[in-house]
Amino acid sequence: MAIAVGSRPLQAVSRARRLKDRGFTALLWLCAGVALVPLVLIVSYVVRRGIAALDAAFFTNTALPAGLPGGGMLQAFVGSGLIMGFAILFSVPLGVLTGLYLSEFARGRVASLVRFVAEILLSTPSIVAGAFVWALVVVALGSFSALAGGIALTVLMWPIIARATEEVLRLVPDELREGALALGVPRWKVVLRIVLPTAGAGVFTAIMLAVARGLGETAPILLTSLGNDFVNTNPLAPTDAVPLRVYFYAQTPFETWKTLAWGGALMLLLAVLILSITARVLANRQLKRTA
Amino acid sequence: MAVKSKWTVVAAISALAIIGAACSGKGGASTDGTASNGGGAPFRGAALTGAGSTFAAPMYQLWSQSFLAVEPDAKINYQAIGSGGGIEQFTAKTVDFGATDVPLQRDEISALPTQSYIQFPTCLGAVVFAYNVKGLQSGLKLDGPTIADIFLGKITTWNDPAIAAQNPGVSLPDESIKVFHRADESGTTAVWTQWLSEESPEWASKVGADKAVQWPIGSGGNGNDGVAAGISQTEGGVGYLSYDFAVTADLGIADIKAPDGSYVTPSIDSISKAGGGLSFPIRPDTNILNSQTPGAYPVASTTYVLIYSDQTDRAKAQTLVDFWTWALTAGQQQTEQINYAPLPSSFATSALSELSKITVAGAPITPSSGIGG
Amino acid sequence: METEQTREYGTVPTRRHRAVADRAFRWVTLAAGLGLVVMLGLLLWVLGEGGWRAIREFGLHFLIGRDWNPVAGRESYGALPFIFGTAVTSAVAMMLAVPIGVGVALLLNEISSGWVRNPLAVLVDLLAAIPSVVYGLWGLYVLVPIFDRDVEPALESTVGRIPVVGDLFRGAGNGGDLLTAGVVLAVMILPIVTAVSREVIAIVPGDLREASLALGATRYEAVRMAVLPYARPGIVGASMLGLGRALGETIAVALVVGNQPRVGASLLQGGYTIPAVIANEFREATSVGLHRSALLFLALVLVAMALAMATVSRLLVRHTARLVGGAVEVRDEAAVTTMGMA
Repeated sequence: MAIAVGSRPLQAVSRARRLKDRGFTALLWLCAGVALVPLVLIVSYVVRRGIAALDAAFFTNTALPAGLPGGGMLQAFVGSGLIMGFAILFSVPLGVLTGLYLSEFARGRVASLVRFVAEILLSTPSIVAGAFVWALVVVALGSFSALAGGIALTVLMWPIIARATEEVLRLVPDELREGALALGVPRWKVVLRIVLPTAGAGVFTAIMLAVARGLGETAPILLTSLGNDFVNTNPLAPTDAVPLRVYFYAQTPFETWKTLAWGGALMLLLAVLILSITARVLANRQLKRTA
Repeated sequence: MAVKSKWTVVAAISALAIIGAACSGKGGASTDGTASNGGGAPFRGAALTGAGSTFAAPMYQLWSQSFLAVEPDAKINYQAIGSGGGIEQFTAKTVDFGATDVPLQRDEISALPTQSYIQFPTCLGAVVFAYNVKGLQSGLKLDGPTIADIFLGKITTWNDPAIAAQNPGVSLPDESIKVFHRADESGTTAVWTQWLSEESPEWASKVGADKAVQWPIGSGGNGNDGVAAGISQTEGGVGYLSYDFAVTADLGIADIKAPDGSYVTPSIDSISKAGGGLSFPIRPDTNILNSQTPGAYPVASTTYVLIYSDQTDRAKAQTLVDFWTWALTAGQQQTEQINYAPLPSSFATSALSELSKITVAGAPITPSSGIGG
Repeated sequence: METEQTREYGTVPTRRHRAVADRAFRWVTLAAGLGLVVMLGLLLWVLGEGGWRAIREFGLHFLIGRDWNPVAGRESYGALPFIFGTAVTSAVAMMLAVPIGVGVALLLNEISSGWVRNPLAVLVDLLAAIPSVVYGLWGLYVLVPIFDRDVEPALESTVGRIPVVGDLFRGAGNGGDLLTAGVVLAVMILPIVTAVSREVIAIVPGDLREASLALGATRYEAVRMAVLPYARPGIVGASMLGLGRALGETIAVALVVGNQPRVGASLLQGGYTIPAVIANEFREATSVGLHRSALLFLALVLVAMALAMATVSRLLVRHTARLVGGAVEVRDEAAVTTMGMA
């Protein structure tokens, strides 16, 4: 650490500099601590309030009027599944194809435009996506529906899947593509049969991240699915969803409903955490494969 | 290939969800043309969607739950999105019935796609002044002008002389008053601001009355629920709530000065007394505020249901008629158990006659046997 | 002449078939990409059509109007309180999240050993996994009372006394205010800022850092002189991404911001943001009158803000990159969370 420069005698790093270095390190650790405090607080709070709700009735019963015990969130779980089913059905093909376009075929201006549009859509508030789909789908169909909710989530998930897929596909080494092309494999086959499968886990990760985001969204569903106290499997009828129910119940003065809300919040947290962790594990494996 | 199966799984799950929905969803809903009333198998009801007033939500949800015992397939899904929302969705025809605490106003009537609709009251409730002050029990005496001044921001502390004058002997803390109001549009707001406009000319000119107004001061909460949560979490908090929410939220409730000078405590009894002021047909300015009946609570209100009279789906129309007939007769007995008041019987009868205007293809729908009187 | 042979991938088609298939595939993916653009266009059109009556009525005055009066007969709408609230809460969020996020990113890159770094990174990323409604409810039930009872009175009596700056911290209300919303937003955008900054700092060539260390710099000096300047454009990009997320956050903010349309100096009093007011009022705003139109006009204003911000961010990044002489690619949230986990 000490260097003789010219005629100056050897000296250790001055105390001032050493203190600054230590202080800096301490500051960084403080940042990390500050960053983690909310995580611990939030997760412990949700677990504490939500654990009380988890009983058999929570999972098997449907909503009951305020104050009556024994209500559950079954209709919300089924509804979230139905709405996410539609969202995945629409956003995955659209998102992956867009990602394919951006990474394999796009050149210059058009590519920048599509990427710019994706960025704007990514910071569009979810409520605006809801208002958009309300005007387009709900009014046209004459009813709130799970389908409309799925479409609203697609508006949010499509850009996420597109950009993430693009990045993952970019990681696939060009040599793979060029080798296949040199062997006479047509372009479309190269992409679909070689590039995409190689990046497969990464694309799956991108989808899971988008799904995690979609699961927790309340605002777009507010305006498009309305909510339902009963289990609904009709895609063209109002449907309930977990974040919607949580948002609604948590702000009521009824203890039974409040407990259900926190139980729902806990389930949401668990679902999203599991999806994120799985995405991370898969991505790690994917990176190791293509690195 | 491993990847292929991943995609297959994703696609399969979503496809299954959709197919399962499409197949099983429709069943149980439209039993088209089955027996409406009289002989044959009893009508089992159809699924309905209603939306609107948050004030009426607990009542309608309890009623729809109880009605399942009468017609097991009548899954009546009522979502509380606010009175304005109820009118908007009713106008857009995205729901089977709308619910609102304030009668349709002239411009809303002209915005409807058709003028053949019915509007009838279903039960009584009230808007109360709720507060959360340590040491202050329910029963603080306040009059209209004082409350208006609080919401105008002119009275800012609890020990203000205007409050103290009406409450001799009560020790009022030197704390600031923290006002809460609705952030969303609501019939409760309309009723409350209407009453404030009648009590305070300054309020009437500065703010006015509507489902949403430009509040001079105060924080906004979402729904009765949000306001109740805000008040109960804030020392010194006040706000206006529907009576049933205030009671369950365990907040202090004020006694309000009636036109005859006495201070009336909101209760099922005092609310029922105000019901006499209702009149048919329902007009844009119909209300039961400041009732002249002695002992009537001044800020009582009723809530209305909106249904188009020319229905196209027979099963739905039958369910609508059956449900609301039941609600206006047998259902009235359930009102008190969740802190609502029943309609005066003469008005229940008038409301029932409104229901008889519902038709499908020109033929009126009558209630199924066993329902109604 | 092509002959058909059976291979692993099936029969080999003729050259013409191949060209058609290739072109078809290219068009399909292009259609998907353009579909995204069309969707944004449709969104803008729907918002514009719905907001048209308000646009015609208020024009650009909407942007500086302060009223928000839906009472029939005296309707008057102005966007200023909401633009103000959106800008202020986002600014507070940035001022908190960027330093902390960059700090954590530096920690993860420069200093930690593997067995600390990985769990730490995962934990920070988990913040991104918490749903927005959970943030909002936690903010409402935990943060708001704490701020109301302890934090804000403390701020008011200490920082609030300093002239000029103190104006920001006066007149504490009931906990639901711009500061609380800003803090909740800061926690929500922290993972993005951290993840992207981490990416960016990792790209800085190791030689620069090692050279300065070899010359006798302490770690702090190496970071300050060699790493940060190089990474600055990327960090700017990371902040912009965080800002974008903060601008659009709806439910969490609506629950803690106080829902008071207000323009004023104090952070400790209630405010309102564009997404929050749309979320609260849209379902009930009737299209009779101008209320619904005004809300859709507000939505357009927000999209315009997002557009402006995306453009500014691109320019800023390119500018700082040119200053530093490095090419730094800024990836956005989705891509980074996929990427930044080695």
